[in-house]
Amino acid sequence: MTSALEFIQFVLAPQMITGLSLGVAVVLVALGLTIIFGLLDVINMAHGEFYAIGAYLALALGAAGINFWLLIVIVPLIMIPLGYVVERGLIQRVFNKPDRHVTTLLLTFGLSLVLEETLKVIFGPNTQRPPTPIPGAIDAFGIIMPNYRLFLILLGFSIIIAVALIVNRTALGAMVRAAAFDRNMAASLGVPASRIYAGTFAFGVALAGLAGVLLAPVFSVFPTMGHDFIFMAFTVVIVGGMGSIGGTVIAGLVLTQVQVLSSLVVSPVWSDPIVFSIMVLVLVLRPQGLFGRMGHA
Amino acid sequence: MRSASSKDASAFLAFDRSGLAMRASHVLVVILVVAAFGFAAVGAALNDTFYLRLATEALIFGGFALSVDILLGYTGLLSLGHALYFGFGAYVSALVLKETPSFWAAMGAVLAATLVFGFITGLIANRVRGVYFALVTFGIAQVAAKAVYNTRALGASDGLIGIPIVPINLGFMTVMSNAPVAFFLFTLVFVILLYVAAAYLLDTSFGRILGALRVNEHRVPFLGYSTHRARLSIYVFAAIIAALSGALYPMLRGFVSPELMFFTTSGNAVITVVIGGVGTLAGALYGSVILTVLKSVIGTMTEHHLIVIGILFMAVVIFLPKGLMGVIRPRIARRLRGGAR
Repeated sequence: MTSALEFIQFVLAPQMITGLSLGVAVVLVALGLTIIFGLLDVINMAHGEFYAIGAYLALALGAAGINFWLLIVIVPLIMIPLGYVVERGLIQRVFNKPDRHVTTLLLTFGLSLVLEETLKVIFGPNTQRPPTPIPGAIDAFGIIMPNYRLFLILLGFSIIIAVALIVNRTALGAMVRAAAFDRNMAASLGVPASRIYAGTFAFGVALAGLAGVLLAPVFSVFPTMGHDFIFMAFTVVIVGGMGSIGGTVIAGLVLTQVQVLSSLVVSPVWSDPIVFSIMVLVLVLRPQGLFGRMGHA
Repeated sequence: MRSASSKDASAFLAFDRSGLAMRASHVLVVILVVAAFGFAAVGAALNDTFYLRLATEALIFGGFALSVDILLGYTGLLSLGHALYFGFGAYVSALVLKETPSFWAAMGAVLAATLVFGFITGLIANRVRGVYFALVTFGIAQVAAKAVYNTRALGASDGLIGIPIVPINLGFMTVMSNAPVAFFLFTLVFVILLYVAAAYLLDTSFGRILGALRVNEHRVPFLGYSTHRARLSIYVFAAIIAALSGALYPMLRGFVSPELMFFTTSGNAVITVVIGGVGTLAGALYGSVILTVLKSVIGTMTEHHLIVIGILFMAVVIFLPKGLMGVIRPRIARRLRGGAR
């Protein structure tokens, strides 16, 4: 009996809480991905690199002496024009070609190569780690948890709720959903569709950048961090249903739990194949994902 | 009535034009072969090893890109995990060669194994369409690559090393896999045969069904053809082309590593096809040569050659959606038509 309790206290609970903070992190990255797909029908292969850019901006500006709490605001604000320019300057150029899915996927894939390599040129190939903004740990019921991870979980959930409210409860969100459902109809009703498109892309990019700021102290910063992390985010988006915010949150939390708990049973190196197998299985059985698309009730 | 018949006529013309375009592709491949023989002659005269082996690798990856183009260019299926079959061929070949250094045994094993493996994975991948196809192929390849990466018996992250030198018995002569010139020419012939097989298959009535699938998938079943069977067949065919190309890799390099299955390899093949020209077959071979040259030339100047290649790739996607072949091939086709008259 005591051994079972000890297992829960020292192994299971910390593992699940670590999984929860990882889950929140994945959902933050996946949110932008799913919103961009839901509205623009674009698979943004460069999303992981925007996440990496956010982390590197935090690292560089932090080293320049800017406070972490300011970075949470500043970095997404820097990312917005970047995203806006990418949407207007690159994606819109091929947006109306017949094979939009494939063409935009290829284009953003090319962009991801350029961005990742540029990060290597500027910051070098080594792994760096900004200091933890909230040091220390708390001991609740004998479970020891780093404070920053708890903060990450709380702030992450607040951001997720805020995004869901913006998309589902504001006039702006209504315009985005209308444009996602039928661009031409929305445009004829006075929705500035092209600005909404670019703005939504920029918003998704800003979310990725914000995730980069928040996760840099936990997962460190290195040039390939984008595509290492994006595989998981893609999986979450696919399983949850591309374009579905609720689906992304549920799939993100469940899959990361699968990942951390499976590593208790089998060797941790097999947790990735397990998660990817779930993705393939979902794609085969229910290609549209577990939940519906944005704008489609 | 009249408009219908003129529509038929223009459709017929389109077919004829595609025949002309394919003939132009053949001409371009012949040019490539002639250039390759010239290259081999110069290489032999200078007693070079490095560049001949680099060119051999370019051809091997050209064969791999060919299989990506068969899927993307002729059926509109973008695979983001096609390196799975390239790596699969390389691993099967390596495993057989370590047991017995017989070229034909390795090729036979690769062919048989890929037939089964491609069929099973094809059944999974072909359940979905469009962008989901890209993601499911990506997912399958990730699972397989990670599994290989973690399996001790397959060398795990180190891969399989110490593949012996392979004598390739062609009946009238024997090519040693470590002879730079001979193995380069052998690979050239091998990849050209893959090209011929693909071009032939796509020109049959089966190939026409694929073209019809790409244009209007819902209509094809009404004409009495099974879309599912056609799609699965071409998927397995493309897998075999990729695996046979991959089978040459351990003969050239003497090792295989899990990187051969990774997304980077799949992505490179997609870049190759797009730069060369989607749906042209010849473009895949040219693309591979261009990419290899670019990498080694820019690679001598900076280790960050991916920036240049990425920008070039994006520029091609935006400005030259038909790639290099879209620029060159119509000129050759015009010449051919002029000559026919």
